[in-house]
Amino acid sequence: MIRPVTIALAVARKDLTSEWRTRELVPALGQFVVLALVIANFGFQIDSHNAAAIAPGVLWLALVFAGLVAFGRAFTAEREQASLEAMLLTPAPAAAIFAGKAMAAAMLLVLCEAVLLPALTLFFGTPLSVPLVAAVLLATVGMAALGCLFAALVAQVRARELLLPLLTLPLWIPFIVAGGQAVQVAMGASGGYNQALGLLIDFDILFVVLTSLAARFVLDD
Amino acid sequence: MSTIIANGLTQRFGADLALDSVDLAVDAGEHLAVLGDNGAGKTTLLRILATAARPTAGSLQILGLDALRDRRRLRARIGFVAHAPGLYPALSATENLEFFCSLQGVQRTRAAEALALVGLTADATRPAGLLSRGMQQRLAIARAVLHDPKVLVLDEPDASLDSGAADLLAAVIRGRTVVIATHDRPLANRLCQRTLVLRHGRVLGAGSRLRVVR
Repeated sequence: MIRPVTIALAVARKDLTSEWRTRELVPALGQFVVLALVIANFGFQIDSHNAAAIAPGVLWLALVFAGLVAFGRAFTAEREQASLEAMLLTPAPAAAIFAGKAMAAAMLLVLCEAVLLPALTLFFGTPLSVPLVAAVLLATVGMAALGCLFAALVAQVRARELLLPLLTLPLWIPFIVAGGQAVQVAMGASGGYNQALGLLIDFDILFVVLTSLAARFVLDD
Repeated sequence: MSTIIANGLTQRFGADLALDSVDLAVDAGEHLAVLGDNGAGKTTLLRILATAARPTAGSLQILGLDALRDRRRLRARIGFVAHAPGLYPALSATENLEFFCSLQGVQRTRAAEALALVGLTADATRPAGLLSRGMQQRLAIARAVLHDPKVLVLDEPDASLDSGAADLLAAVIRGRTVVIATHDRPLANRLCQRTLVLRHGRVLGAGSRLRVVR
């Protein structure tokens, strides 16, 4: 019996090694989020009073679009080089392969966040705090699970660039609502941070379980 | 007893009938060549045999298991070489095979043995993306035998291979039940005991290699 955890880690390691050697995605995503912040900085009349109100929205917009690119690429590359089928024609469980792909894509988005969050502090003057980082990381988990599932689903469709956001964005709304609230509180607004964080954890558990169950049908059949 | 028993395998893609009620039996250790023009249904048949595709109709037993239900169990016993090598270009030849060792649940030392079998030991550390097309094909063949499968399904494995292809393939298929699609009739004659000829998804003829060639 092949252990699913071993397989998931092998898949994630393979994806991260490939990205490290080719540097195809992370530098481009890093530039994208910085550009998004530059544009937002020029687009809004930002001052010390409204920065904390505008910054969370800009953060989630940049993160959502960076995520769509990162998760979409995770399966498109596999389809293009015909390697996904080679993986699926092993006895490895499809859910473990999916988990590995999602873990690697989430890691790439975390690297992107490592650029985004300090840049947000630089452009908007908002605090870079542990509660802020925790909220963003928790949202990344569930967003990665959902994003990768739909990326796998649309990878063999011609209009995948259009379909991926259409399918994914509506289901990301809970993360953006709960994550948005947590980030606003972390940036100084009033509200229930713990309640928002609890919701994020609930959503993470729900969507990680659901996507793991659905992965077999999406990938293998 | 036959290792592969297919009855009425049919595959439709929309209105197109790619495979039309193909019956097939391959005995243990037997090597069967599938011949036919482009679009005859060779790849469709081989993808079904490799559990990469589900037929629209028909039944398939491989090694005594229902190939449509027990796909995961069978995949541990089947090796498949598809049209495209399906490798990771940024990973070295060894890393590619070691990754698939993890998925197959076999020792990583198998990677070096498989590389030696296909004559790629000297190129083990080169990224797969920098290997020639023929070398990539050899690497794909090495991946197909990593887990020492009892059944090998090879879709035009000689494509892009050099003049040593026949010797390489002979070494790889020895002792296994093999279904191989090829356009190269001399190669089919050398490697296989029987041939099956497909045309427009139907079996046009089957028999010993000599009879079909004549």
